[in-house]
Amino acid sequence: MSDKDLQKSENTAVTEKIRNVKTFIPRVDIYETGEALFLIADMPGIDEKTVDVELEKNILKISGRVENGKVKDYSLVFSEYEVGDYERTFTLSDEIDREKIKATVKQGVLRLELPKAEKVKPKKIAINAA
Amino acid sequence: MKVKSLLPDVVRKTTTDIDHPFYSLQREMNNLFDNFFRGFSVAPRGFAAGIGEFTPSIDVKENDKEYLIKAELPGVEEKDIDVTVTSDSVTIKGEKKEEKEDKDKNYYYMERSYGSFSRVIPLDAEIESGKAEARFKNGILDIKIPKNQKAKEKGTKVSIKTS
Repeated sequence: MSDKDLQKSENTAVTEKIRNVKTFIPRVDIYETGEALFLIADMPGIDEKTVDVELEKNILKISGRVENGKVKDYSLVFSEYEVGDYERTFTLSDEIDREKIKATVKQGVLRLELPKAEKVKPKKIAINAA
Repeated sequence: MKVKSLLPDVVRKTTTDIDHPFYSLQREMNNLFDNFFRGFSVAPRGFAAGIGEFTPSIDVKENDKEYLIKAELPGVEEKDIDVTVTSDSVTIKGEKKEEKEDKDKNYYYMERSYGSFSRVIPLDAEIESGKAEARFKNGILDIKIPKNQKAKEKGTKVSIKTS
C-alpha cells in the first residue's frame, strides 16, 4: 500500500477555481460488461444534490461539491483527510449510447451506467443448417 | 499506533487555526510520516492488510466538552459499520463489500479498494462511552463523544499557604 492508495490525490487543475477549496480526484472503478460500461467513483460527502455529471461532446465530467466541514471552536487532534470538492473528466468513445446514461448516488459513491450503443453490442449470429 | 506528531505538544495544542500555512505544513509532514509507516505495515494491524485493502481516513477534533470523529467510508452500508467505545478509545470496524452482480467484468480502472477494516482511535481524555452518538450520511461517519467532566475534576487543587 503506497500513500497514493490511501489518500485522496489533489487535483492541481489548470482552470482557475471560484471556490476557495481544494479539489480532489475521486478514485474510480471502470468496468465493462457485454451491455454497458460502469463507472463507480468514491466521493465521500456528496449526495444527489451536490454532484454533477456533464457530458459535452465526448468529454464526461463528474464533479461534486462538499460543503466545508470546518467546525468552529474545535482543535484538531489528528487529521488524515481534507474536505474539498471533487472533479474528474473522462473521454467517451462513440460506442456509448449518450441518451441512456444513468447516474445514481448512494452513500457517497457515484455510479454511472453507460450503455453501449446498439451497433457495438456483441451479437450472436444464429447458424442455420442448410 | 500512530506516529502522532513530530512536534512537541506545546506547539500542537495551539492548532486552533488550522488554516495557518505553518500548520498545514506540519500536517503535511505528519501525514507523510503516518502514511510512510502505514505503507510499510509497521503497525500491527498491517499484518492483515494486503494490497488494495480499504482503510478509512479519519479526522479527530476536540474541544473542552467533546470529541468529534469523522471517517470517510464511501460505499459502506451502515449495517456493516460497527462502532465500539471504551473509556479511552473508539474502534471503528466494518467491511466495504465489493458488488458481485456481474461476473464477466472487464476492468479498465480499479482504484477503489474493498475489504474489512478496523481502526482503533486512542483518545487522550476519558470519555463518557454511554453518551456517544454516531451518524452516517453520504459516506461519512460522524461520531460525537462527550468528555467525562468528572474525570477532569478528579485532580484537587491544593492551596498554598504562605508561612
